[in-house]
Amino acid sequence: MDTPIDILEVEEKSIAPEKAKALFEKEFMPHLDAMYNFALRLTNDEEDAHDLVQDTCLKAYRFIGSFEPGTYAKAWLFRILKNNFINDYRKKSRGPSKVEFEWVEQAYVGEEDAEPAFQADLKAETVNEMMGDEITKAIQALPVDFRMIIILCDLEDFSYEEMAKILNIPIGTVRSRLHRGRAILKDTLASYAKKRGYQTDSLSANGTF
Amino acid sequence: MLTNKNPEMKKHCEHQGDCMQLIQRIIDKEATAEEEQLFLNKKEQCLPCQEGYQLEQSLKKAIKEKCRSKCPDELFKSIKAKLFILLAIISILIPLFCDQNK
Repeated sequence: MDTPIDILEVEEKSIAPEKAKALFEKEFMPHLDAMYNFALRLTNDEEDAHDLVQDTCLKAYRFIGSFEPGTYAKAWLFRILKNNFINDYRKKSRGPSKVEFEWVEQAYVGEEDAEPAFQADLKAETVNEMMGDEITKAIQALPVDFRMIIILCDLEDFSYEEMAKILNIPIGTVRSRLHRGRAILKDTLASYAKKRGYQTDSLSANGTF
Repeated sequence: MLTNKNPEMKKHCEHQGDCMQLIQRIIDKEATAEEEQLFLNKKEQCLPCQEGYQLEQSLKKAIKEKCRSKCPDELFKSIKAKLFILLAIISILIPLFCDQNK
């Protein structure tokens, strides 16, 4: 499992305040939207997302001396954000997110390499026709570990290697977690589609449309 | 998106598990050029692979388009304000009162 405090183990290197401010504005501020979005997807709550981004920024500022200019600032920030999220939600026991996180750990530890069920009963056309709220609802319904990795990969375009660093997990786990998360997501979307009466028959080889 | 249906296309893929993993690595831009080319050729003869590829592409695109939200202006301002205060504390107060720090 993760060592969520790893970023804090880096010593606080001193840096001139003016330089720190310039570095912050140049390297970190451009990623604020992405950070907020990630925080919102993790917490499912605007106020919590607000706090999480703010804490992350203040922490990033505090440890700015250990940021190496030229390295990928966004990955560095996301790693702090993720650690903050895990620490906060473990400590504070606020609401269902903590329960959910623990549930995920119990339910999925050791199962990440298990082969997910075969392709969900879902077609590309169905996904294309879906309204936005169905996609976001399905994402929100994912256990947090899977939601996290799918957002990092599909929305933020991090590479597997970057995600391995952000999440502090081996690259093989990145691959299998992503694969499994997507399998669950497809199942969820297929069940929405079924309810709404979209065509879900995945091998309808009649070619009539 | 229309599926290119070739009458001789396989309706069943015997390595679907492996193919699905490869498809995801391809859409995530993590596969090598050779792997990608090999798959793109293969998918013309395999319906599950072709449909799987389209599904994964659509899903990635849908997530990208539908799950984006913008940082509220007030949060942006409050972060800047807090940093400004921090900066003030660091650059003014601490050097001046460093003997009196609690």
